[in-house]
Amino acid sequence: MKRLWVLLCFVVAIALVSAGCGPAATPTKAPEPTKPPATAAPTKAPEPTKAPEPTKPPAAKVTLTLWHSYHTGGSEEKAVTQLLDAYRKANPDVTINALAVPFDQIFNKWETEVAAGGGPDMFTVPNDNLGKEVRAKLLAPLDDLLKGQLDKVSKAGVAGMTVEGKLWGVPGIIKAVGLYYNKTTVPNPPKTTDELLKLVKDGKKLVLYQGGAAYFNFGWFAGFGGKLADEKGKCIADQAGVADALQYLLDLKAAGARFEPDNAKGATLFRQGQVDMIVDGPWQLGDYKKDLGDKLGVVPIPAGPKGAAAPLSGVDGWHINPNSKNKEAAVKLGLYLFGAEGLKAYADVAGDPPVRTDVQTTDPLVKAFADIAAAGFPRPQDAWFDNYWGPFGDMFTAVMEGKAKPAEAVTKACADMNKANKIQ
Amino acid sequence: MTTTTARVAYRSGTFVRTFRKVLPAYMYLLPAFLVMGIITFYPMGFELWMSFTDYGLKNLRVDAPPPDWVGLDNYVRILNNELGLSNFDFFRTLFFNLFWTFSNVIIHVTLGILIAVALNTEGLWGKRIYRAIFILPIIIPQIIIAQVWRNMYDPDYGAINQGLAIAGKLFGLLPELFHIRWIDQVDPPIPGVPLPLSFFALLITNIWLGWPFMTVVATGALQSIPRELYESADIDGASGYQQFRHITLPLLRPAMVPAAVYGIVVTFNLFSLIYFLSGGGPLRQTEILLTVAFRLVNEQRLYGVAAAFAVYVFFILLLITLLTNAITRATESYAE
Repeated sequence: MKRLWVLLCFVVAIALVSAGCGPAATPTKAPEPTKPPATAAPTKAPEPTKAPEPTKPPAAKVTLTLWHSYHTGGSEEKAVTQLLDAYRKANPDVTINALAVPFDQIFNKWETEVAAGGGPDMFTVPNDNLGKEVRAKLLAPLDDLLKGQLDKVSKAGVAGMTVEGKLWGVPGIIKAVGLYYNKTTVPNPPKTTDELLKLVKDGKKLVLYQGGAAYFNFGWFAGFGGKLADEKGKCIADQAGVADALQYLLDLKAAGARFEPDNAKGATLFRQGQVDMIVDGPWQLGDYKKDLGDKLGVVPIPAGPKGAAAPLSGVDGWHINPNSKNKEAAVKLGLYLFGAEGLKAYADVAGDPPVRTDVQTTDPLVKAFADIAAAGFPRPQDAWFDNYWGPFGDMFTAVMEGKAKPAEAVTKACADMNKANKIQ
Repeated sequence: MTTTTARVAYRSGTFVRTFRKVLPAYMYLLPAFLVMGIITFYPMGFELWMSFTDYGLKNLRVDAPPPDWVGLDNYVRILNNELGLSNFDFFRTLFFNLFWTFSNVIIHVTLGILIAVALNTEGLWGKRIYRAIFILPIIIPQIIIAQVWRNMYDPDYGAINQGLAIAGKLFGLLPELFHIRWIDQVDPPIPGVPLPLSFFALLITNIWLGWPFMTVVATGALQSIPRELYESADIDGASGYQQFRHITLPLLRPAMVPAAVYGIVVTFNLFSLIYFLSGGGPLRQTEILLTVAFRLVNEQRLYGVAAAFAVYVFFILLLITLLTNAITRATESYAE
């Protein structure tokens, strides 16, 4: 009996292992049509209905899977849904599966899935991690497929998709933050930092984001003569300007400006009309317009004593998976979504500024954002820039919370960034 | 010669008999060993190898070149705080992690026992309903708990500040006094104690989250204490406290000590609550080792360094478990 149990266990173990290591399941044969049950007075059994002959798929039948990170129910999602519906109608041989992935997970998911040999055919993101992903061979080079297709794209747009002299995406939307204002309470928007400070001192309410401060407040540096790094990536922000910009932000806070760690809350306050001005990006334009309508205005971040502000400007593109078997079809779809017709829809529905020069947008706010982004500081794609976010994000928190003086905070942030980049 | 041969034959016979005896046990364990080998031991070995390399995003592809061997460099970088995470200090984070763990578990166990004893009172009405309600925090996913409590801690619209303001009004205090920035205030609320307000916010949340489990364990153990012991103590004139001290507590110990050890390991690694409630902030003051390890992978893509970090966490937890075991003899059975 005992031996029998041992033998049984062994057989089960072997079966489990072989099941785990076996090949992928093969499609099982469709069950035979069941025979009608025999009855006492047999009626003539109906002839089993013949299954329709499987139609041969046309040779050009393609299924594309794409990822985006547009907010569910947001205006960007609305724009892309409209466009995809139109594309499906015009191209019945193309099946498109669109999947929304939260923005804070989309890069990581793409990187791990593509690295493992899978992933969707394409995804759209800002060029936050472009350099990193190119160096890791997680994007397909598109020079051949995009040859002659980007003639109507601005230089900034093409540059935003270029790393090491090659193209890695279909450029579409150019984004940088600007100063939104409520025309009812701020009839004359500020052009300079002094004017803005005066407005705040006079009781106008301003919100600046503390969450993601290193991105949203980058633009102030240039207005005070600050520069982040030299051409080799060595942080030089401690040399001049950045500490002055921080001191100015502290003055704004002392005058009554609100530094909001919860960005969603800051945006809500502006939408509800409880705040007069906010520094935010064009991705909010559609939603802000819904609430404020004609009262909404946008201007660049006010110029400082040393010149114009220069917010980080990024480009959204459609990137193609190097593992995709449908690269050509994916690029064709990318060129439609970020072509003249697609970008017009993005601009009209979501307020996204296009990179194409042949897209005429009637909305002055979209035009304003396009100008702001064109004058911005193109996001560096070098490895050293990866170590900007942590040290400088904490720098803003430490200064705004009164834990460090501007000059010492910048010195520390710069030292941390250089240490992480192993630069002396 | 004959004796030696006989001895060898006897020994080999014993071996065969022993082998036959234990073989079924090993056969039963074999499937589990195989599965564990694939899903646990292989990744652990791979992680250990990664920790000695500069594994990064560039090596992620299956057809990518192997990473370079860097020896102990990742381990040294962690100790020297060269991770590109500002305000990160390994030993400060480790100390905070330990303080966070033990402060939580001590409160969980104490509260758990006291509430279990209170609920065990004979004739208490609705015992079963209380017990069912108290189990709720355990079954709600931690990410939801973190989000709900984060909203409750909101300085402007959060239920906690609003509740405090209503209570304060009864004493004539202005509502502005209760605009408390639970999560974002950098300055420590208690002068001289280097713990931010967000630590206390996390502590309150985790007490709410943690005591029910200890109560469940203690309730189960209380049921097994023979009634006669208390009756004898009553006859001997022992007070309620004396009964609790000399009967209840010693007999709860075999159940509570392993539960506390489990609580230590879980709280030490309580990633979801900290990451989604305080985000490790402000200024990384409530960061624990596991949230840092996650950032190294998710934000920095430093897979090699993150692997070395995980090895440190493994040995720290191993040390804590061994120490706790040695002190409490939690894993010894009564038979030993």
